Amino acid sequence: MMASQRRKRGESRILRYLILGTWALFCIVPVLWFLSIGFRPRTEIITPSPIYWPTFSLDAWWLLWGDWPMGHYLRNSVLAIIGSVLIDLVLAIPAAYSLARYTYRGRDDIGFYILSTRMMAPAIVAIPIFFLFRNMGLLDTVWALMLVYAAVNLSLVTWIIRSYMIDIPKELEDAARTDGASDLRILWEIIIPAVLPGIITAAVIAMIFAINEFLFTLLIASTRNAYTMSVALANFTGGSDGVIYNAIALAAFIAFVPVFIVVVLIQKHLSRGLTMGAVKG
Amino acid sequence: MRQSSPLSTTGAGHVAPDIFAAGGRRRRKWRRTLFPYLLVAPAVLYLLMITLYPGVYAIYQSLFDVRFQGWTWAGTANYERLWNDREFWAALGNTLIIGGIALALQCALALLLAYHAYRDPFVRGWRIIFLVPMLFMPSAVAFIWKLAFNDGRVVSDLLMRAGLVSDNIGFLSSVWLSRMTLIVADVWQWTPFLFIIFVAALQSQDEEVEEAARLDGASWPAIFWNISLPMMRPVIAVAVVLRGIDISTMFANVMIMTQGTPGGSTETISYFIYRIGFKTFNFGYASAISVVMLIATIVIAQVVVKRAFRSGSTP
Repeated sequence: MMASQRRKRGESRILRYLILGTWALFCIVPVLWFLSIGFRPRTEIITPSPIYWPTFSLDAWWLLWGDWPMGHYLRNSVLAIIGSVLIDLVLAIPAAYSLARYTYRGRDDIGFYILSTRMMAPAIVAIPIFFLFRNMGLLDTVWALMLVYAAVNLSLVTWIIRSYMIDIPKELEDAARTDGASDLRILWEIIIPAVLPGIITAAVIAMIFAINEFLFTLLIASTRNAYTMSVALANFTGGSDGVIYNAIALAAFIAFVPVFIVVVLIQKHLSRGLTMGAVKG
Repeated sequence: MRQSSPLSTTGAGHVAPDIFAAGGRRRRKWRRTLFPYLLVAPAVLYLLMITLYPGVYAIYQSLFDVRFQGWTWAGTANYERLWNDREFWAALGNTLIIGGIALALQCALALLLAYHAYRDPFVRGWRIIFLVPMLFMPSAVAFIWKLAFNDGRVVSDLLMRAGLVSDNIGFLSSVWLSRMTLIVADVWQWTPFLFIIFVAALQSQDEEVEEAARLDGASWPAIFWNISLPMMRPVIAVAVVLRGIDISTMFANVMIMTQGTPGGSTETISYFIYRIGFKTFNFGYASAISVVMLIATIVIAQVVVKRAFRSGSTP
């Protein structure tokens, strides 16, 4: 009986690695193949039958930094993202503190209102937002992107930080209060340092969503002044030559690498961040 | 919902030396009541900018026929047109079909993978590998699959080599194949989202409960089905609601991969609004669609999301 049980467990382990391994291949193989697209000449991409062992070429690399103003796109992405995350933190930290540490009338409704803005499909508000920025003269500027990304991410940044603030033991605050510290000083000197991992998690998740943002950017940006990496990809077309896939692939990896690194660094907090604090992993 | 213990609004008053006159104290108390509202107000005002303002604007604009020449009063004509617009109902149906299938698939796959991975010694490694697709920009993912299915004919080629088909497949010319390419792209990119959350939920469970059940002779699948799964139901609810919201707004994939072809069978609501507004420049009509979808969103948020998050954040 022992033996049969052991055999059964061995079989289940084979099955387990078969399942996990298959999915791992499904994740990785398209990525590696796309990487190979980035380092091959254009003539070997769209062919009668696909080429699996291409000749190595840096065509796309030179195209990106030469003909395509890649530097502009990167700069726009970075500026809009950093600006939006800073706006979010300035607005979200006090809001989260209020929602997590005070009891007052309407608090839960306010919290839910903030959460519910995450449910809004970008397309639904796209037209009014487009006219709003047009009237403000902000179309095709990084400023508009900054404001939009901040608005899109504010709900999740607030809720993530709120969830970390709720976990802080109340005694910590009480001790400071008996020493006569004001509420704002408590927030600044005790709460913020204690929830720093939560703040960083929120900032990273907001950063990812800002990099990914597509529809608003598509409407706001119309030239290299405001094109970000995400939307610039959709415009890597050579007119009659069709889509320039090797440049797209390379640009995709340029955006992927920094995101991958920061996500691996905050791995432990990822599930909590992705559920806006609802799941304490 | 887990709540922080109420902080006494008069807490600091006890500590401060009581040298204030009665009027001053009343003002202090009033200020303390107001304080939490002041903290949350900037965020709320900022968010009203992207919810209340667009809502009011869209309602107003939806009552007009907006063209380049200007606005002419249209009354409820846009809404009547919407009610009778087969393209609108088709887009709604497509969004539900494509999103529903993709969501069900990624939920099932994520559960299967999480079940096999969460007590595996290499769980951190699996997690990093599975995360990779999720960390590409959606527009990049759309191009990966556009190239694989359509432009580069890689999927057709692999299927031909395997002897499953004899000729190139026109993924864009069949309703269901075209929808399938969108589903594959979404499942590929977003299954890890659910996987990571499910694994975290499973790992945070008490190992001793599982051990006890196992000593009683229960098999692993039975333990998972009868003990682990019911315990993580609130987490599943939150994760599926969040994913469902994102799927229902699918846009970049449609725009890059199919543009609604064939015959509008892959046009989602988001793409429909975009096309009406920014391709045909019929802003009044597009606003009417937005208003209807906004109302639907508010109803869904009130009913589904509120409940999911209330139960989901219970520890």
